[in-house]
Amino acid sequence: MKEAIWEKKGSLAEQLWNTGKLDFPIYDMHGHMGPAYGIYFQNCMPADMVAHMKRIGIKHLVFSHHETLTGFKPNPEVVEICREYPEHLRMYAGIIPQRTEEIKRDLALFDSWKPYAVGLKILPIYHNHKLSDKEYDYALSFADERALPVLIHTWGNAPECGIYETLCKYPNAKFFLAHCCFGAWEYAERCVKETHNNVWLELTAVPGERGIIEKLVGMVGSEKILFGTDLPWFDEYQAVGGVLSADITEDDMRNILYRNVENILGKDW
Amino acid sequence: MKDLHFFDANCRIGNDLDIMPKTAELLSDLDRYGVERALVRHNAIRWGALPSNSQIAEMVREDTENRLVGVWCIMPDSCGEIPPPDQFFKLMKENRIGAITLSPFEHRYVPRHNVIGKIMDAAAERKIPVLLDAFAEKWNQLYDFMEEFPKNTCIYTEACGKWGYDRQIRPLLDTYENFYFGTAGYWVQDGLAILAKKYGAERLIYGSNFPRYNHGCGMMQVKYSGLDHESVAKIAAGNLDSLLKGAQL
Repeated sequence: MKEAIWEKKGSLAEQLWNTGKLDFPIYDMHGHMGPAYGIYFQNCMPADMVAHMKRIGIKHLVFSHHETLTGFKPNPEVVEICREYPEHLRMYAGIIPQRTEEIKRDLALFDSWKPYAVGLKILPIYHNHKLSDKEYDYALSFADERALPVLIHTWGNAPECGIYETLCKYPNAKFFLAHCCFGAWEYAERCVKETHNNVWLELTAVPGERGIIEKLVGMVGSEKILFGTDLPWFDEYQAVGGVLSADITEDDMRNILYRNVENILGKDW
Repeated sequence: MKDLHFFDANCRIGNDLDIMPKTAELLSDLDRYGVERALVRHNAIRWGALPSNSQIAEMVREDTENRLVGVWCIMPDSCGEIPPPDQFFKLMKENRIGAITLSPFEHRYVPRHNVIGKIMDAAAERKIPVLLDAFAEKWNQLYDFMEEFPKNTCIYTEACGKWGYDRQIRPLLDTYENFYFGTAGYWVQDGLAILAKKYGAERLIYGSNFPRYNHGCGMMQVKYSGLDHESVAKIAAGNLDSLLKGAQL
């Protein structure tokens, strides 16, 4: 047998294989927390999740609580969870388009939730909306005024969800397209290249797909790709392992796992 | 890698109208990630058991280092499309085929005892592993199948999505002691350690689901599952190796 990627001296792959960690902080820009209706998680509470993050060296997880996105747990309660793990947990404020008054109430508090709240989470399809629907205008304008990150759930049906049209309307917000419009790769490329240089592809569910990270790096450049896992849906070792398994340069890997986030949010957030 | 050996239970090669990797590409990827061996089935079983059985045997022969072990697809007993069990298993051994699978929904038969009982009973008696990769999201049919064939050694190699399906799979692990769970696509945080602690590391088997997924992501998940080295080694290669060695072909 030839030399495996894990055996290449001095490589990131060798480092993770041998030590279980990398010599830089990793930022996971797409997480959740708590029980979810369609899946069983044994370790989905904050202590277990943070323990998992610490094992591999995730500096920050930015998450939206499952029960916030399903209307059971208000955003202010999630801030309190973050306060218990101030070194590791950051949150996206969940936006439910049906609850217009709650959106205004929460966003009025948003600045007081710093440094824990770093942006907004929007799931248009799950909430039976298109991103271009007027119910999102207030939240998107709020993010645009403050140049905030907005993590948007996307999948292969993204072209039918008014994503591109909406991205074009807001030049200042920082849009992270969760799951990279999974399967609609050319559409994802268009969203990055034909907007205002304010769109990144977030990798959740992509690491491990043979050849796809390579394809995306070729399409938009590693500078436009962020790491994420949907934690606790995906194991951090599987996902980081998937990035290191891709046939891309180590500069690309570093861009994806931490450099891009530090360029967007800085090192101290 | 010297510290840990991997034997991949879930690889497919050949056909699917000639866009899929063949032997050389699989071996190249195994090298890239340091996977020593792989249990490999044909990508186009759905297009026909007999031609795919024949072709997977040819592709396994192209591997001159004996790193690949093939999988053959069975068919119903009554139509005589495959030889009787003893002869079928003899041919398997001659062709370096170590396990069987089935594709009842695409081959249009009902996977019940009065349809495939002769070969399934013979496989159970000889402890020949049965790879289950035809039941994606067909949980009722999979439960029926396991009720029908509780004594067979079955390895679930579905990867029917990459969202954990504990609610569906745990009842099978609870009920059938010969039911083994392939890790491909089961990527839940800490999931492998949790399953191994509940059911024993002996019940889990590393698989990549090549060519859809690469080998490396799952290898890293297994290695850093949080289990002790002995358990990790069993999941990575030991369990599959034991099952194949225990089969009496």
